[in-house]
Amino acid sequence: MSEIITSTAPATRAGLPWGQWWNQLRAIVRLELRKGFRRSFGLLLLALAPLFILTLRLVVPHAIPDSADISGATQFFAGLYQAFILRIVIFLACIAIFGNLIRRETLDRSLHYYFLSPIRRELLVIAKYVTALIVSFGLFGLTTVLAFALTYLPNDSTAVSHFLFHGPGMAHLGAYLLTTFLACVGYGAVFLFFGFFFKSPALPALAVFGWEGIHFLLPPMLKQVSVVHYLQSLRPVPVSEGPLATMSDAPAPWVSVIGILVLAVVLVGISAWKIRPMEISYDES
Amino acid sequence: MTPEPRKQGTADRRVVFENVSKFYGDVLGVNRVNLSIPPGITGLVGPNGSGKTTLMNMMVGLIRPSRGRVSVLGLTPDNPEELFRHVGYAAQYDSFPPGLTGYQFVESYLRVHGFPAKQAEAMAWKAIERVGLVEAAKRKVAGFSKGMRQRVRLAQALAHEPSVMVLDEPLNGLDPMARAEVIDLFRELADGGLHVIVSSHILHEVDLISDQVVLINGGYIVAEGEIGDVRDEMEEDHPVQVLVRCDRPSLLASRVFEADHVVEARLLEDGRSLLVRTRDADRFHLALNEIVLANGFAIEAVAPADSDVNAVYQYLIGANGDKS
Repeated sequence: MSEIITSTAPATRAGLPWGQWWNQLRAIVRLELRKGFRRSFGLLLLALAPLFILTLRLVVPHAIPDSADISGATQFFAGLYQAFILRIVIFLACIAIFGNLIRRETLDRSLHYYFLSPIRRELLVIAKYVTALIVSFGLFGLTTVLAFALTYLPNDSTAVSHFLFHGPGMAHLGAYLLTTFLACVGYGAVFLFFGFFFKSPALPALAVFGWEGIHFLLPPMLKQVSVVHYLQSLRPVPVSEGPLATMSDAPAPWVSVIGILVLAVVLVGISAWKIRPMEISYDES
Repeated sequence: MTPEPRKQGTADRRVVFENVSKFYGDVLGVNRVNLSIPPGITGLVGPNGSGKTTLMNMMVGLIRPSRGRVSVLGLTPDNPEELFRHVGYAAQYDSFPPGLTGYQFVESYLRVHGFPAKQAEAMAWKAIERVGLVEAAKRKVAGFSKGMRQRVRLAQALAHEPSVMVLDEPLNGLDPMARAEVIDLFRELADGGLHVIVSSHILHEVDLISDQVVLINGGYIVAEGEIGDVRDEMEEDHPVQVLVRCDRPSLLASRVFEADHVVEARLLEDGRSLLVRTRDADRFHLALNEIVLANGFAIEAVAPADSDVNAVYQYLIGANGDKS
C-alpha cells in the first residue's frame, strides 16, 4: 500500500483558516467562561464596593444637601469614578483577571489541555484576553451603570430625567462606559503582558499602581507613559487633581482611544509571541 | 466543518526521535535518544525518573529537545495546529479545568479543536462510551474517583480519533475490571492501525499489551524493539532460560548438556521439570526435538522462563532501576 488515509479532525482550508480560528476562539471563550470566573468572590466584592459607598451616601443623613442639585451629583460621581472606580476597583480587578490568565492554569496544572489542542497558541492568548475583557467589562460596566444610577437616585426625578434625556446625562454615561472599557483593554493588556514576564504579577502591578498614582505629578513627557493619562481625556467632567498637579494638555479623545488600542495590540502581540515556544513545567512552578 | 482525510506516505507513519537530548539546566532528562516507533502498541518501560514522561512530553511539544529532532507521522511538535489533529495525549497530571462535568470536559476541548457543536457532542459521547463512563459523565470531574479521572482523560485524548495516542501511565488508578477493558481498548485501537504509546511501570501488563517495548533508564534507551528480539540480543550476556516438563528430566539434562550452547541444565524440586539456560534458543529447540525423538521422552511442556518484559527489565535495568 503506497499511501494511507486517516480521517481525523476538521479541515484546514487553503490560505489562512479564518473560519476555523473564529470557531476555535469562540470555543475557548465559551470554555473559559464556563470554567473560569464563576466563583470569583473577590471580583464580586470589588464590583460591589462602589455601590456600597453610594448606598451609604443614600442612608447617611445630610449626605445629599440638595436633591435638585444635579451638578453636585455629577461632580460627586466624577470624583468617585476617577479616584475609586477607575484607579482602584478596575485596576485591581484587571490585575486579578488578566494577570492570572496563564498563571492560574499553570498553578492548576491544566494549561496542557490547551497546548494539546490543534490551535495556534497565539490564538489561545487572544481568546483568553477577549474572555477576560468580556468578564471585566461585563462586571465593571455594570458597576459603572449602577453606580451612575445610584448617584442620581436621591435627586429630584424630574431634574434627573431632564439631565438624562434632554441634557448631557446619557453622553456622560456613555463616556464613563467607554472609559471603563478602555481601562479594561489597557490595564488588561499590561497585566497579561506581566503574566508572561514575571512569576507573580503582584510586584510589577504595585509599581504600575504607584506610577499611575503619581501620574498627576509627572512632567508632561512621562505622563504619556501611563494608561490613566489617556483615560482622563475621555472623562466627561473634569476633576481637580490638587494644587501639586503638573499642567499638561490632555490628548484628543480619538488619540486616547487609538493610543490605548495600539498599546493593547502591541502588548497582547508580545504575549502571543511569548507563548509560542513556552514549555509546560508545572514542577518548577 | 467537514473532516478532511490526511494523506500519508508510509515513510511518515512513524514516531521518530533523532539524536534527541533534553537537559533541565544541568540535569539530564534524556540523552542521545534514537527511536523509530511503528504503529501498534509500544510500551515505554523504566523506573521513576528514567525519562519516560520527558520522552512523551517531547513527542507532543509540551517540552522541546535541547538537541536533536522529534517528528510524529512526519509532523513536528512545533506545529501544534497540525500535529494535534492526529495525536491525542493523556498526560500523567491528575488535574482538570475547574467546574466541568466529565462530558463538558471532553466536549469543550472538541469544540476547541474546531468541531461543530453537534459533531463534538456525538464524538464526546462516543469517546465517553468507549471508556465506560456514560453513567458518570454528567457529574463534575472534581467528584470523580481516581480511576474515573483516568478514564475521562483517556476519553479526552481519543475523542478526536487521533492516529497516535500517547498515554502516560494510563492504567494507574484503574480497578482490575477497568484495566482489562482499557487494555482491550488499546488492542482495538492498535489493531485499527494506530500508534498507542503507553508508559507503565506495571511490567506484566506491558508484556501483555505491547507489540514492542522501549526500555529506558537514567535518560538512556537501553533496549527497543519486539520483546522477543530484545531478548534474543541478550542471549550472550544473559542466556535464555527454557523450562521443560517431561517424564525423565535427569536423562534429558545429561543429553541437552552435551550441546555447546547450553550453559546450565538444572533439575527443579518437583522432580519433573528441567530449567535449561542456553545462549542460542533456536538451536536449543532444534536440538531438543532431535533428543526427544531419539530417546522417546514424554514431553508435557516447553516454555520460555525469562523472555518476558519483566525478565528483560530485570536483566537490563535491575529491580531497583540500577543498570546491570
